[in-house]
Amino acid sequence: MKPTDSTSDADTAQPTIISDGTDTETFSFETSGSTVEVTWRERLRDFYEEFIYKPGLVAWDDRRTRIGAAIMSIYVFMGTLGAWLYPAPSTNQVERGLEPFETLSAPLGSTGSGQDVLAMVIHATPEMLIMVTAGGIFATGVAVIIGTVAGYKGGSVDRVLTSFSDVAMSIPGLPLVMVLAVVFRPRDPVLIGILLTINYWAGLGRSIRSQVLTLREESYVEASRTMGVSTPRILFKDIIPNLMPFVLVNFANAARYVVFASVGLYYLGVLPSSVDNWGLQLENAYSQAGALVGGGALYQLIAPMIAIMGIALGLILLAQGLDRVFNPRVRTRLAGETESTADEEDRETNTEVNM
Amino acid sequence: MSLRTEEMDGNSVRDPVIRMSDVSVTYDDGESYVLDGVTVPIERNEILGIVGESGSGKSMLASSLLDAVPDPGQLSGSVEYRPEENESTEVLALEESELRRLRWEEISMVFQGAMSSFNPTMKIKEHFIETLEAHDAIVGVGMDRARELLEDLYLEPDRVLQSYPHELSGGMQQRALIALSLVLEPNVLVMDEPTAALDLLMQQSILLLLQELRAKYDLTMVFITHDLPLVASLSDRLAVMYAFELVEIGPASEVIGSPTHPYTRALLNATPNLNAPLSEMRPVEGKSPAPINVPSGCSYHPRCPLATEECRANHPPDEPVSPGHTAACFHWEEARTEIELNYDGAETGGDQR
Amino acid sequence: MNNYYLKRTIRAVLTVWIVITLTFGMIRLLPGGPLEQLRGKLLRQGVSPSRVNAMIESYQNVRPNQSLPEQYYEYMTALLTGDLGQSFLQKEPVTAIIGDALPWTVFVMITSTLFIFLIAIVWGALMAYKEGTTFDLLSSSASILFAAVPFYVLGIGLVIVFGYQLELLPTGHRLSPEVEPGLSLLFVLDAVDHAILPIASMVITGAGLQVLAMRGNAIQVLGSDFVRVARLRGLSDQRISVRYVARNAILPMYTGFLTLIGFNLGGSIILEQVFSYPGIGYYMYQALEARDYPLMMGIFLVITVALVLAVYVADLTYGLIDPRVKSGDSREAY
Repeated sequence: MKPTDSTSDADTAQPTIISDGTDTETFSFETSGSTVEVTWRERLRDFYEEFIYKPGLVAWDDRRTRIGAAIMSIYVFMGTLGAWLYPAPSTNQVERGLEPFETLSAPLGSTGSGQDVLAMVIHATPEMLIMVTAGGIFATGVAVIIGTVAGYKGGSVDRVLTSFSDVAMSIPGLPLVMVLAVVFRPRDPVLIGILLTINYWAGLGRSIRSQVLTLREESYVEASRTMGVSTPRILFKDIIPNLMPFVLVNFANAARYVVFASVGLYYLGVLPSSVDNWGLQLENAYSQAGALVGGGALYQLIAPMIAIMGIALGLILLAQGLDRVFNPRVRTRLAGETESTADEEDRETNTEVNM
Repeated sequence: MSLRTEEMDGNSVRDPVIRMSDVSVTYDDGESYVLDGVTVPIERNEILGIVGESGSGKSMLASSLLDAVPDPGQLSGSVEYRPEENESTEVLALEESELRRLRWEEISMVFQGAMSSFNPTMKIKEHFIETLEAHDAIVGVGMDRARELLEDLYLEPDRVLQSYPHELSGGMQQRALIALSLVLEPNVLVMDEPTAALDLLMQQSILLLLQELRAKYDLTMVFITHDLPLVASLSDRLAVMYAFELVEIGPASEVIGSPTHPYTRALLNATPNLNAPLSEMRPVEGKSPAPINVPSGCSYHPRCPLATEECRANHPPDEPVSPGHTAACFHWEEARTEIELNYDGAETGGDQR
Repeated sequence: MNNYYLKRTIRAVLTVWIVITLTFGMIRLLPGGPLEQLRGKLLRQGVSPSRVNAMIESYQNVRPNQSLPEQYYEYMTALLTGDLGQSFLQKEPVTAIIGDALPWTVFVMITSTLFIFLIAIVWGALMAYKEGTTFDLLSSSASILFAAVPFYVLGIGLVIVFGYQLELLPTGHRLSPEVEPGLSLLFVLDAVDHAILPIASMVITGAGLQVLAMRGNAIQVLGSDFVRVARLRGLSDQRISVRYVARNAILPMYTGFLTLIGFNLGGSIILEQVFSYPGIGYYMYQALEARDYPLMMGIFLVITVALVLAVYVADLTYGLIDPRVKSGDSREAY
């Protein structure tokens, strides 16, 4: 399980050589700030090439990534421009109990208290996006820190961190979050995002740790180590970049978990109802007998449902598409179409030609 | 061209157990060749070494012998199998059920990487039993033979049979796999890089064991490797592959002692040698071609120091060098003088190796 | 080997202990809420303060005038003797409520998880065998689509359609009022009738990602050398698909299966609310709403212990089904 293809090994070693070579003019100025700057810029560019642009191309080649990205940009649009331009929901802003597609002032109809359903859907988006981002960053960030340090340091540090993750992982997420929600009554979406992923990172941290364990045995990491490069530098330069695709996949997964959990908790009414949320909308519609029996108010349920499933679908598609970058099994077959097969083993040549 | 080859082969191979004629494997609806018109007879009870770089198509050659080219590869040509001197079967024309019998019962195979050739969740013993059962062999008799084979390979039969694959060392797994491939008493054993994952000492001991097995069980062996020195001592004849074709074939001592194809000479010069100083060691310059863009004419011409217009335009025929020794090169005579070899004892055609 | 089992056991016990300590701490963090109101109410009603204190103590398992270690000691000993306190809401011992509700939740969750994995294994393997076909493409798309639906959203939809509109299935409760629990066919049928919708919403939404995982595993195994060698050895397709492909593709999913049961127990809080299905999740929600802390913490503990137990069992038994991990130490359950 190596998160990058074989070329990156060579290329991560290269930047230093290349920059040393092209820096000869700056080099004559003696080692001053400028040398460092150029090297840094080049390093950044190489980093971009190697870890963002190339994997991005591979991911983009997958239809799922493109659809997922398109869906997510709709939500971002809805959460920024949409929420800014479209009037916020309020009681009696339109006629009560409007059916969908009746008037332009409430295209998706209105609730029993005269709120515009579409406005409710749109204005729940910004909070949701903040929550999802906060949760995703918190979960993957903590997982990366704990996983890499535990995996790279080893010894007693590893033991302590691993046991810590084990315990955190054994506590059931949803019930814990509910209890904490009752204790802290969080209102800030960032806080809610973090709270929801309070122990989500644990399992992820474990997988990152085991990947770091394999990565640290790679020759280029070992080379850095023998050259006396400091641990944080190795972690940031050699290890974490190689984990990026995996981390991104799990960012999308964590984000989806935040969507499901937050909507669920808002639906239950466990989280304070200060914020517009699709879960609240669901709850309102569901608790109104009309939505259930007559089917007349069904549209009130369907709008938030579609909003929830849409964002979840976008995130799943993104995760699946990104997985292609991370997962070497899927990736070699793809790479075979463009790369020369000459230096590969016979066996691999065969599978590549297969495509 | 093919006629002359037949004549040459007729001289050196009297009783071929397998005769491959113009065997090709193509992908992408015939657009890319991963094996290109290989013609080679395999003498009964010989050890034929096939040497080539990674990606030269040697694994394809091995798979072709059992009509087991991975999908969607298209196999064409003829693979004639002759269990007895006057019997003949066309392997590529066999029905699925006949093919099932041919494989393992007549022609067997050892893959590179024994570690991955066993089902990790089954004991070694079960692998033997299911193989015997699948071929309607009597399990009791077959298992006795398995034990004998394992003993021949210096393994403790009881211990090995009761083990899971991961409980055995790489060398033990490889030997167990050889025993598994011989349990149905095949005539021919095809080995694809069987020792690649092993250390030098283990490689050597397995080669010795293979020679013993050949004598004891009257086996014909096809030994495929990238490691020229490894097969040099083991093989009766050597064939060199380049870019999905056989470029030179002949008795092992001649191919090593007096190679004629420029590629073979370059390959030998690139081989680490105790006698030659490291400074004289040369890697083969350039890159071997991928299946999609094999050069026209002689596929080696972009890397060949002797290449002329003729090489770029025409595909060289297999030129007879000496009885039983051919080289697909227009300039094989020049090659002998123009490309110097960097090791002792060359050009005398002797048996130094 | 023994070392491995010992380590796992210690880890499981340690985790449970830490969670117990955590709940002990959390109870002290919790806002007073209804208990304080109750205290005031009882005092106003003229109940003697000492009795009020005793009642409150029994509800919250807290004796405020003891030192913290003493409180902790009492809390632990009470737990070890199986005393989870008294439910303020239901006026019953917490253990009695959990004892009544847990079997139903476990029934729903284990059944759902079993179905999820059955579907995943069969469907995923089929997709792998037919990799690249229209069937594979359609199934993959469907799996992703279903995975995008939260189980409670589907649950709401199912209740509306099958419960309220078609009136085919009950909209809530674990049994019809007239049916008494017992070993009768009527009881079993009625229980199944009430559990179909909750199970369906878990299975339909949960199977998608597992199907995709199984598909990936099976494709990997199908492409492995040992399957190719097995074909060359002349083994029958049936034997290869069962002993080689299925076995090696299912193995990595085993741990996930057990831990998913544990995780789904947590999800029961939302699920049982949607279906008004009185299992432990339903009561946990009720307890949360009413700030019935003893009941809330009791159920929280039970779910945690179930999850720890699932991981523990997965750890201990994995070595039995995968010969490669007999020695154990190198591999973990996750």
